[in-house]
Amino acid sequence: MSDASYLSLQKLTLTYGDSPAVPDLDLDIRKGELIALLGPSGCGKTTTMRAIAGLMPVKSGRVRLDGSDITRVPANKRAVGLVFQSYALFPHLSVYENVAFGLKLKGMRGQELDAKVQSGLKSVGLSNFANRRPAELSGGQQQRVALARSMVMEPKVLLLDEPLSNLDARLRLEMRTELQRVQKETGVTMIFVTHDQAEALALADRIVVMKSGKIEQIGSPEDIYNRPTSSFVADFVGFENIFPLENGKLKTSGGLINLSSQPPSAAGLAWRPRMVTLGIGPFRGTVRGTSFAGDSREYLLDTPIGPIKAEVEASQPAYALGAELVFDLPAEKAAPLARFA
Amino acid sequence: MTVARSLFIPLVLFLVIAFLIGPFLIIVAASFSAGETLAFPPQGFSLRWIAKVFTVESFRASFGMSMFLAIGGTLAALVLGIPASYALSRYKLPGAEIVRTIVSAPIIVPGIIVGLALLRYIVVPFQIGITLALFMAHTALILPYAVRVVSASLENLRSDIEEAAVLLGSSRLGAFFRVVMPNIRGGILSAFILGFVTSFNQVPVSLFLSGPGVRTMPIDMIAYMEIVFDPSVAALSSLLALMSIGIVFAAERFLGFSRYV
Amino acid sequence: MFQNRAEALALALPAAIFAAAVFLVPVVILLSDGFRNPAGGWTISAYIDFFSSPLNQAVFLRTLKLGALVTVVSAVIGYAAAFAIVNLEPGMKGKVTGLVVLPLMISPVARTYAWIVILGRTGIVNQAFQALGISDVPLRILFSETAIFIGLLQLFLPLMIISLISALENMPKDAVPAARVLGANWFQVFWKVILPLTKEGLVVGGTLVFTGCLTAYITPAILGGSKVLMLETLMYQQVSVSNNFVAASVIAFILIVMSFAANILLKRVATARNKQRRAAA
Repeated sequence: MSDASYLSLQKLTLTYGDSPAVPDLDLDIRKGELIALLGPSGCGKTTTMRAIAGLMPVKSGRVRLDGSDITRVPANKRAVGLVFQSYALFPHLSVYENVAFGLKLKGMRGQELDAKVQSGLKSVGLSNFANRRPAELSGGQQQRVALARSMVMEPKVLLLDEPLSNLDARLRLEMRTELQRVQKETGVTMIFVTHDQAEALALADRIVVMKSGKIEQIGSPEDIYNRPTSSFVADFVGFENIFPLENGKLKTSGGLINLSSQPPSAAGLAWRPRMVTLGIGPFRGTVRGTSFAGDSREYLLDTPIGPIKAEVEASQPAYALGAELVFDLPAEKAAPLARFA
Repeated sequence: MTVARSLFIPLVLFLVIAFLIGPFLIIVAASFSAGETLAFPPQGFSLRWIAKVFTVESFRASFGMSMFLAIGGTLAALVLGIPASYALSRYKLPGAEIVRTIVSAPIIVPGIIVGLALLRYIVVPFQIGITLALFMAHTALILPYAVRVVSASLENLRSDIEEAAVLLGSSRLGAFFRVVMPNIRGGILSAFILGFVTSFNQVPVSLFLSGPGVRTMPIDMIAYMEIVFDPSVAALSSLLALMSIGIVFAAERFLGFSRYV
Repeated sequence: MFQNRAEALALALPAAIFAAAVFLVPVVILLSDGFRNPAGGWTISAYIDFFSSPLNQAVFLRTLKLGALVTVVSAVIGYAAAFAIVNLEPGMKGKVTGLVVLPLMISPVARTYAWIVILGRTGIVNQAFQALGISDVPLRILFSETAIFIGLLQLFLPLMIISLISALENMPKDAVPAARVLGANWFQVFWKVILPLTKEGLVVGGTLVFTGCLTAYITPAILGGSKVLMLETLMYQQVSVSNNFVAASVIAFILIVMSFAANILLKRVATARNKQRRAAA
């Protein structure tokens, strides 16, 4: 086992009924990494996570964890923890009993059990809630219980299904910090599934972007945010002006267009709204929509090459609805896309 | 308009409840009669008919039989029905609709047909005893209720808690007993009570299934009434109703029975 | 959702096999008896025989008539009662609902038996009629269609009320006030708002009541006596008195067809109204 493949998925194929959900997936995860599986619903990220947990039968391929093949190891013997999106706390048990559940099954009893449960509760700040029932807790508290319940088992990998999606904005920030802290203190390998790019960028060491059961791109948050390699990823992380390239020319609804400077060789180019230059440039457009966002202004332009989204600092002079203007799509600022879907 | 409405509601409710409960109250009153025949208003007051109920030999036997069928039949229906409900609510079962239709069919078909069919094509050809036939018939009759009530409480329970239990080291079967059963206990008890009351009061299924000394309580009451028209059947009816109402009331009080039915 | 099919079948099959063996197979054989001729072929002559008897025709029509009548009357009373109940304050609502459900816990034998005391020759009704001078001689109310009707209505009204209570409670809270604000009178409110929004409850309640009437045995047996028969009591007679199993099979088949037909018809009526409204919109 090399350090780079503490958890490794090898040619993993998963199916729902007869339809393939995930075909031939390869992924290597380092020990202690915090990985985000990012993608829209139906991209196979949750299915992949369930397969790692053993809740999903593997059609073909292998799952290896800490040097051994766990493909056929039943879910209850895998040492993989999972924090469910709905938390899945046992409604008939107290917070204390929820956290003690797995430890008791391991045969832990008496003082050892009590100490372990208490420290688990303490680590998520719920020592005073030990005797409550899950229904008496807020969503954030329930999630902490679910986290403690998994963490006291000292799993080799902790999986989290949309860990922040059920929380309000303030709790979300709090929980983010909490997850990072737990990960840092315990060094547990963590994989979380999310459809929210902001969440993945903020939390993960590495992001795996998935689409239709396949990995679209793997990289650091900076890579994903600044250097998307495909039109899909570019779109997903907020590049709103995306065009294919053909023989060095931009292929638009208005035909093949020459850019103001020589583009890199790529399958396509993508610009975020704030990469579009307004006021100078070879292209003409009409302002169709405008919105003020505090520090900046956003414009929706109607142009011969199709709709363009632009964003400029609010200190710049504003254009009125219907105003005619010129703009540029600078090739040197664009993200070159290796693949165009 | 407002006056009309404020009178309308209590009046409707009074009439409907009088119609539904009144006849039963008359039976209760008649069971305290001192007279020889069943009549209302009762002639005098005595407890003689209530006392008599306990001395009629056939009543004792048929009460025992009905208790056995109601308790045994309901337990058997639950033993069959809980796993079936679990399969229907937790699995992608091939032919799920067929299974659901088969197990809930006995509720749709008139009981008298079920009883007759069982008599002609199971009891006679296979030489099965009447008691066993009654037991099978009552189990089949309660099964739809058991499946419906247990399914409803399973639907209300998240299925991911079972996965959570498995990931914490429990086996699948262990997860069922550790986290599913405790959470559907109320539904199971409700199904038990519903099954018990249904079975105990059931007549048509048992009509053709009676033999020497083997009769259910309601059939025995009808047979008794055809011979003797004294207030003892009224007394017996009152006592049985008291039993049913007591059980249901306790269940509602402690379990919130009506949530499941 | 778990995916293991073998596991699922192992859990579901015992119940399905039991119900099939004890119930489905015998009932299907019983029903097929009515279509067999002595030579072993198929025939509908038993059905022709059955319906050519004026007595059987009368019993069939009476069953249909009483079932329909009880269903309609219980729907009318049921709406009034359910509407009254859902408008009570919560504590009271629970208690009144409890009183409505209570009769369901009492043996039908006891409930039917009570009507003998009320409707009999020396029963309460006749006592009252004579005391008030409405009639000199005791009226024969027992052993008539009227008695069966009253008995069946009392037996099954709770089912209709409960179905309608849950339908009325699931209705959007603002629908009635909204219709009133738009100028609808109470009749229009009922016909255009409440009825369409509660029709599923009505279909459920109606099916329960009608099927209940078809399958009730004790009520027609005790309150109709041996002369005023319904299909269930006729079937019992055919078996226990005449030993005529073919006729019993015919009646069984008719009963089952009637209860399925009632269910389908009620659903049709509900969806037809729905389509009409959509077409109008």
